[in-house]
Amino acid sequence: MRRHLIVLFLLVFNVNASAQLLDNLSFGLESNAIWYNDDKKTGSFYDDVNKDDDEHFRSNNYLKLDYSFFKNFKATVQFESYEPLALLNYSPNYNETNIATYSLNYKTDKLDVTAGYLYEQFGSGLILRSWEDRQLGINNALRGGKATYTPTDFLSFTALYGRHRVGFKTSEGEIFGFNSDIDLTSLFKFENSTLSLGVSYVGRKENLNIEDPVFDYLTNAFSNRLDFSYKNFYSSAEYVHKSEDAVVQILNVNNIFPDDFVKPGSALLFNTGYSKKGLGIDLTFRRMENMGFYSDREKTGNIYNENIVNYTPALTKQHDYILTNIFVYQSQPLVSFNYESNVFKVGEIGGQFDLFYKIKKDTPLGGKYGTKIAFNASYWAGLKADITQAGFETNPDYETEFLGFGAKYFSDFSLEVRKKWSSKWSTIFYYLNQYYNKEQIEAKYNAETLKNNIGVIESTFKFAKNKSLRLEAQKLWSNSEDHDWIGGTLEFNLSSKFSFYVNDSYNSGIDHDTSKIHYYNFGGSFTKGATRLGINYGRQRGGLLCVGGVCRIVSPSTGLSVNLTMSF
Amino acid sequence: MKKITIAILFLSFSFSFAQKIPDLNLKSLDGKIVNVNEISNSDTIKIFSFWATWCVPCINELDAISDVYEEWQDETNVELIAVSTDDSRTKKRVKPMVNGKGWEYTILIDNNQEFKRALNISILPHIIVVKNGEIIHRRSGYTPGSEDELYEIIKNNL
Repeated sequence: MRRHLIVLFLLVFNVNASAQLLDNLSFGLESNAIWYNDDKKTGSFYDDVNKDDDEHFRSNNYLKLDYSFFKNFKATVQFESYEPLALLNYSPNYNETNIATYSLNYKTDKLDVTAGYLYEQFGSGLILRSWEDRQLGINNALRGGKATYTPTDFLSFTALYGRHRVGFKTSEGEIFGFNSDIDLTSLFKFENSTLSLGVSYVGRKENLNIEDPVFDYLTNAFSNRLDFSYKNFYSSAEYVHKSEDAVVQILNVNNIFPDDFVKPGSALLFNTGYSKKGLGIDLTFRRMENMGFYSDREKTGNIYNENIVNYTPALTKQHDYILTNIFVYQSQPLVSFNYESNVFKVGEIGGQFDLFYKIKKDTPLGGKYGTKIAFNASYWAGLKADITQAGFETNPDYETEFLGFGAKYFSDFSLEVRKKWSSKWSTIFYYLNQYYNKEQIEAKYNAETLKNNIGVIESTFKFAKNKSLRLEAQKLWSNSEDHDWIGGTLEFNLSSKFSFYVNDSYNSGIDHDTSKIHYYNFGGSFTKGATRLGINYGRQRGGLLCVGGVCRIVSPSTGLSVNLTMSF
Repeated sequence: MKKITIAILFLSFSFSFAQKIPDLNLKSLDGKIVNVNEISNSDTIKIFSFWATWCVPCINELDAISDVYEEWQDETNVELIAVSTDDSRTKKRVKPMVNGKGWEYTILIDNNQEFKRALNISILPHIIVVKNGEIIHRRSGYTPGSEDELYEIIKNNL
């Protein structure tokens, strides 16, 4: 009886209060499931992370609920489920169904306090960033507390403490952070210019059981930032210094922390640009030395991107097409001595340049709609250093030249021209030239350096209201006999709700992993409002999956995938 | 018992409910602090378009709307606010790209994706149409021509 009363009460309460109650509730659901097939061409299904060849069905599921109450409070909880196991190549720490993150937030005009799992970024993230990227399997939220105090428009202070989320557990190492941003523009009431400063501190404390350690268990990092703009011109600079810490070298199990291999780290980031209507120019330079920073030292350089304290993405253009993403540069922030492949890295140095330009309407080159041009170029090299290899009685060591360019790792330049011919027909031309030093980037002894040219033509035809056809043709030419790719995509949008596509890429080179295999995919999607259901069947190439300059290694696989996302 | 309660709670989702825009401060491209809740509390319709410099369908959508934006504004006073979710890898490309393309939108920078997370957005592009602080429509993905559908929705909610 009592139960029935409760139900009745809830019903009434629900009807009356649901409008208001649910006004304050929002949720997001994402579900990615794959049935992996055995594939004659690329091999039988095998999960080498979990050492499993049995569970062909995998799924990653995320449900996030946010509830706002009492005007200033918000509670958030995220459930995650990896059943029966996570999708291939996700960290083995994603292994159950449970509450993954939760937080309680209190916010007023001046104060913003969070307890529980929190996300934060100081400056560009070069010193601290915690974020979520489900595609990459990254969620390095900090479990702890954070308070941001904004006493005036131009001042802001943040203090935080926490341990990284690692799967459904947390890191051993603790993170302490402090950040302050000062906006001098409003303070001094500049008219045509802006000026702001930022200062951050991040401490990482991980206690280890080492007798007489030659380094502190607490590592301190400081960042100073300056942003300046004057009319159409802007520029910014950041310098980060990380105190001396053990250089983690996975030479063998006992030698993770070599006796005297203790070095500081540093980074310099500089950006400048000019832009006005129809024109944009941007130039970025970055130098990093020993900037690997992990909450647990032994996780340095781990392939699952767990325990990451700072964000050191590859500063190259993220290209949009399948063949332009076979050889992707990965940033090189770490000190990594690889004796087997004779590759010694202490950091990287380089930059990139961007140009955006719109050729005006009603000019010979602009035509009726104008023509949009984007050009990008990047160059990255190892940071130049004198290397001392570990010998019989010598410890490894190095001395860097502050702005010295060492071995060239990577370069590329690309040109994109977007042209709209009529209200029904538009085309994108894309050309990319890339240089990829595989031996250095992947630390593979004597690997061939790849010099590729890639061309893409994409055309979209709109032939009725909401109906359109998109075609993509791609070709990759290489100096290497291993690679000679063609690719294509056909996409048909039936309405704004239904869309179908098929694509294929094929290597007629002699690369033993990918040669003479069709990497095909076909599928469709249904979208209604914020709900989207996608179904895909196909064969994935092994390699790197990169989002935002961070990459995840994926093994080749074939299967049927279903993705569902909903949000309210 | 518990299940029934939860089921009822979930059932009541299907009743229409209007969701609000969170109380968040973001920086605009010219460095001004903008409260997204405040700007959405307006009689005129606002569109938040979540995009990124590396997202081709996002660029296609913003390009397509850009071609008809003047007309839209003249007829409905609608304002599009393009929320860049670029992180620091690509954030520096936002300003030159916006100018290079000649877009007339207000641009906000959602640097560590706080706004995107608060609205539980997982796929880009994502459009949110707001009037008087309440969400009246949202949509993920872009196919050529869906800007016309969006315009219908705007006109129907004037």
